Amino acid sequence: MKKLSSRALLSQLFGTSAKGIAVEKSLVTGYASVGATRVCVIGTCNGTYVDNAAALHLAAQVIDCIEHHPKMPIVMLVDSAGQEPNRVAEMLGLASYFGHLLNCLELARRNGHKLITVATGQAVGGAFICYGMFGDRIYALDSARVGLMPVEAMSAVTKIPVPVLRKLSKTMPSLEFGAHPFALLGGVEAVWTLDDGVAAKLEKAIATASTEDNRAELGKKRGGRKLALDIRKKVLTESAR
Amino acid sequence: MTRGPLFHEQTARQRIAALVDPGSFDELLPPPERITSPYLAQLGIPVSFDDGVVIGHAKIGGRKVYLAAQVGQFVGGAVGEIHGAKLTGLFKAAARDRTPCIVIVESGGVRLHEGSAGEIAIAETMRAIFECRAKKVPTIAVICSDIGAYGGMGILSTCCDFRVMTEHGRLGISGPIVIEKWMGKKAYDSSNRALVWKTSGGKTKYLLGDADSLVLDDAGAIREAISKLLGKSSAVSLKAVKARQAELAKRLKRFGQTEDADAVWKGMGVRDIEAASLASGPEFAAMAKREK
Repeated sequence: MKKLSSRALLSQLFGTSAKGIAVEKSLVTGYASVGATRVCVIGTCNGTYVDNAAALHLAAQVIDCIEHHPKMPIVMLVDSAGQEPNRVAEMLGLASYFGHLLNCLELARRNGHKLITVATGQAVGGAFICYGMFGDRIYALDSARVGLMPVEAMSAVTKIPVPVLRKLSKTMPSLEFGAHPFALLGGVEAVWTLDDGVAAKLEKAIATASTEDNRAELGKKRGGRKLALDIRKKVLTESAR
Repeated sequence: MTRGPLFHEQTARQRIAALVDPGSFDELLPPPERITSPYLAQLGIPVSFDDGVVIGHAKIGGRKVYLAAQVGQFVGGAVGEIHGAKLTGLFKAAARDRTPCIVIVESGGVRLHEGSAGEIAIAETMRAIFECRAKKVPTIAVICSDIGAYGGMGILSTCCDFRVMTEHGRLGISGPIVIEKWMGKKAYDSSNRALVWKTSGGKTKYLLGDADSLVLDDAGAIREAISKLLGKSSAVSLKAVKARQAELAKRLKRFGQTEDADAVWKGMGVRDIEAASLASGPEFAAMAKREK
């Protein structure tokens, strides 16, 4: 699949209004329009790693939006290989920087900002958990590399041979890597093709988003994550007795 | 002075029993229900009847709380689909009943054998934690084991209102072995325990303000710390996030360029590194001039 530059991708999503978005050190921040809707944009590109400074940079943009643009939807773009594996980053509390970013997004949600995520490139591990997966509704391009990790990496850590994992992934999409299997788990609402009117789809996604987390329901309905919803319900029922 | 067993050496159920009012714990989805991971079964890996997490409700000082305790001995306390759904359900029940929720964390993060299902479960649990926080229902992460809180569970812990730690506890995302592989042994020697704990251990996290209390490795001390937090909550407000933004920016500016493992301790006012290393959690907390 052809690799789009970050600028070309922003143009696809936001048209000429993409010029209002800054791309600096593979971090994307700014304001733009989706159709007639003004939006705040935060994100990563070029598969960059998210470190302490990156989390703060994105959080600052969210805070600016909350302060100056009440209820403006926030679009979160994800193309990151993960958190920065670095000792100093850890010593300074990278987890807390991520927690802070999540707190900012939660405040935005409570204040009426819709949060829409689009996984555009890599959406892997901690870098997806630290903002993208916190969206009200999450979408992915079909070319996006979404999931915990590719089968090869999973094999290297678990010592389970790649062919065994590949075979199992046929019936267990959770083990497979990519936008489509992730959608079967309910992890993304829908998978988009870039050339197929993504801007219009994004506009509709913003209009229809709700803050209710529907991922477990989707996962069950689509058959990729059959247990989560029922287990959760069982806990809720039995704890109410 | 006689004390009970060390908290970090206890099992998940022992920890809960030691923290709560005697006989008050009611386990939800207990092992006799045999809810086990189909993923592990398919891979030929032993399953566990609680899928590595004990959940339920109990009383602490007569007050109802929801509790979860992860089982580090079972695949490192890692979060799979069932494990994660139990946590999500527990926090949602806590929000519904406006009852504080405590999670005793002992986990390396997502259970790799279950792929993305565990990752989504952690994201769902985070949403449930913020459901509690929206209702000012206290959420507390207790991080008091060597395994600590890593990966997605490290991030999840920072979403709770409060974190109670001991010096044994570790809080982070990438573990030392992963970082050593990435940066080389010179940058991070994962076998150097002092370095590992100065990077991610309870003392450093307390100094920086990422842990709210630093207590003895003892159920009584942890219970006391929890009790003090049960009536409180941490605000999600513009004022709070702006203050936090400034604090985290300042921290990065002060310490972001240093390779010195002692930099944070020295910078935060610890004068005698040797003595501070040997001090117990509460002694350390008293010695250190933690900036508020």
